[in-house]
Amino acid sequence: MDEDILQDFLVEATELVDQLNEQLVDLEHSPDDRDLLNAVFRGFHTIKGGAGFLGITPLIEVCHRAENVFDKIRNGEVEYDAVTADVILRAFDIISDAIVQLNDGQRDLPENDPGLLSELDALTKKQHAPDVAAADENMTDEPKLQLAEGLDPDGEITDDEFEALLNQRDSLEGAGAASESSEAGDLTPKVELTLDEGLDPDGEISDDEFEALLNQRDMLEMAAMDSEMPPEPEPKPVEEAIPAAVVSKKEPEPAPKKVATKAESSPAKAPAKNTAESTVRVDTKRLDEIMNLVGELVLVRNRLLTLRTTQGSSEDLSNAVANLDHVTTDLQTSVMKTRMQPVKKVFGRFPRVVRDLARKLGKEIDLELRGEETDLDKNLVEALADPLVHLVRNSVDHGIEMPEDRAQAGKPRKGTVILAAEQEGDHILLSITDDGKGMDPDILRQKAVEKGMMDEMTANQLDDKSAFELIMSAGFSTADQISDISGRGVGMDVVKSMITKLNGSIDIHSVLGEGTRMSIRVPLTLAILPTLMVSFEEDNYAIPLTSVQEIFDFDPEKTNKIDGQMMVRLRDKSIPLYFLGEWLTPGQQKDSYAEDKVVIVSIGNQRVGLVVEQVNGQEEVVIKPLGMMLKKVPGYAGATITGNGSIALILDLPGVIHRFQY
Amino acid sequence: MDGQQEMSGNQLIDTGMDEDVSYLGPSARCVLFTLEDEIYGIHVKKIREVLRVGKIREVAGTPANVLGVINVRGVIVTVVDTRIIYGMPPKPVTDLSRIIIVEIDDENTVGMMVDFVMEVKDIPESKFEALSSTKENASRYIQGIAHYQDNVIILVDVDNMLTQLE
Repeated sequence: MDEDILQDFLVEATELVDQLNEQLVDLEHSPDDRDLLNAVFRGFHTIKGGAGFLGITPLIEVCHRAENVFDKIRNGEVEYDAVTADVILRAFDIISDAIVQLNDGQRDLPENDPGLLSELDALTKKQHAPDVAAADENMTDEPKLQLAEGLDPDGEITDDEFEALLNQRDSLEGAGAASESSEAGDLTPKVELTLDEGLDPDGEISDDEFEALLNQRDMLEMAAMDSEMPPEPEPKPVEEAIPAAVVSKKEPEPAPKKVATKAESSPAKAPAKNTAESTVRVDTKRLDEIMNLVGELVLVRNRLLTLRTTQGSSEDLSNAVANLDHVTTDLQTSVMKTRMQPVKKVFGRFPRVVRDLARKLGKEIDLELRGEETDLDKNLVEALADPLVHLVRNSVDHGIEMPEDRAQAGKPRKGTVILAAEQEGDHILLSITDDGKGMDPDILRQKAVEKGMMDEMTANQLDDKSAFELIMSAGFSTADQISDISGRGVGMDVVKSMITKLNGSIDIHSVLGEGTRMSIRVPLTLAILPTLMVSFEEDNYAIPLTSVQEIFDFDPEKTNKIDGQMMVRLRDKSIPLYFLGEWLTPGQQKDSYAEDKVVIVSIGNQRVGLVVEQVNGQEEVVIKPLGMMLKKVPGYAGATITGNGSIALILDLPGVIHRFQY
Repeated sequence: MDGQQEMSGNQLIDTGMDEDVSYLGPSARCVLFTLEDEIYGIHVKKIREVLRVGKIREVAGTPANVLGVINVRGVIVTVVDTRIIYGMPPKPVTDLSRIIIVEIDDENTVGMMVDFVMEVKDIPESKFEALSSTKENASRYIQGIAHYQDNVIILVDVDNMLTQLE
């Protein structure tokens, strides 16, 4: 297999798979959308083409059959209903998994599950299955009806009408094909017919016509394939049908069943695990911008160099420095933007996740995506995927009620989940809103008492917001039964800690009976971190500012030792106190902490006080890795260089606390 | 002669085989430094630069052989105490102390604190011998030794040393 061609193919296929993932779910909502249908057809076709060229047999097998199914759907012979969609989506999962495996460097793909292949074949043969007979009857009539409507008597042909004509022709032919017994034999004449019609006498070729021609070519190829390939699932002829498939057939892996069963048992799982990509696509406009700024930078340098030799006035110098300041700031922003990706990359998987879940649970749910074009740092895009999947699943599983319950409560049967992203200053705000049953703070309080997390009095003192936040404590699950969907894998506590790790915060708002909104705020980029600088003598430490809640003077009067642990009283609450200095210089006992400060930080759901010698103020720092030797030392998130050139260590609070507590 | 096979990138000047001091042949260009009174060598291709000792920022919680981190033009580099790695007692930094910045791979560098950097020398490969007796832990980081101009030069096995420390 030519590695270069394979890599090119994978880049394209990965994009197509991402698109198909959304398009397939969209198609289920609007099965009559011809453009969408064509796009899906082309998607499978393009993947098949690439795979054929490279001789990736398992991919060809699945793509080819999926393509056949969509051809039938285009011709109106098969309806894209939920049952068809289930099979197609399973096939899609196989394709998507295969692409992931190829991306991971695996070259021998397992053989396909013959069961799935024959199911796909069965779909193409399904003329009018009894369970959808009624619907199909309508379907066959419909095209003709549209034909009459589509024809405009005014004689001029607009693009839309032309498209309509093409569609009609497709469906007419589809009807024709359905009546014929030999499928393959029928396809070829059909193509020629199309070609004639597609040729426009005016000699000019519009985009639509070109598109139509392309489609015809596709069909020609299809026809060629069909004639050579019997409908039975025999992989060999496929190889022969594609001339470029010179690659010797790989020994099939001994466990072909495994992949198939995996896909079957967890259809709700996000189709492609997001392997961290090491490349990024950058708009050339952005690169031009950077080039331009670098040019500016060189100019400023030249000016400064001249100033150094000619001893220009201090005004010239300060102008040049001001200029330098501007250029570097702009350059920093521009370079940062090259790492930005639209949040669509994460959102794209959700229509599928929601669709599969809703179908499994028997719920009716609309997923609405908003602000998909919002840009955020590439690393964040990847890191946010898992927490978001969990939150969306929660909304679908626990938030939205069953259609009957909704109807009884006077709501529309169909629930809505809104996944939204927007930029808010230097933060990104992501929210998952559902119009489900909401949460009852009283039940949460009661649950907390039952679980022994707090006594009744403390629980009753919690305001509603704090009560909602209980769900993010470890070991707190309100689902009476652990369901297949949520209540397994990552819990809300894990979501919370993942978000905290990204220096973000999560906020819950819920109204009983009306719905729940989870809002996540994360910084635009992970490269720059707002911190609170503290120090011990000369050594600086940076505490991520998002964790810092308040700062006050250390007052021995307000501390006491409980069970060997120093505590500080803050507004009638006792908070454990940790003396950072003892950890940083072990064995050193200070005589008096009276001059010290207490920084209250929140980590997950706990609050602790860190005793530091000095608080120097806020500073935005650029995070630098500590290098591989120190990566494993707990308590540090990295280092940074302060304005005066010295090194400040950035504390990783969970790590710091872990070292104090264990 | 195992040691010399590891040495690639050396200059090949093809003249006859001569056991003389003025021997010309495949040789390894090394930076020589001292710890106590022993001479060590590291191949130049592994070395990015040699720095005077500035302020080293200590990092609490690290093993004893890590002295701390330094700022090398915006990159944070870990500094290890080479003396401790070779089983010698630590010694305060002097004016002669240097930090040798060693490249592990494209992304990672480590600073090695040494007592004194002597010079850069081409050492004929034929002078290298693999270490016969593996007596202690420290010998893990020795690629070979060379008897050269009345000195014994210990060739540091940088790759092995730093992966062990990781």
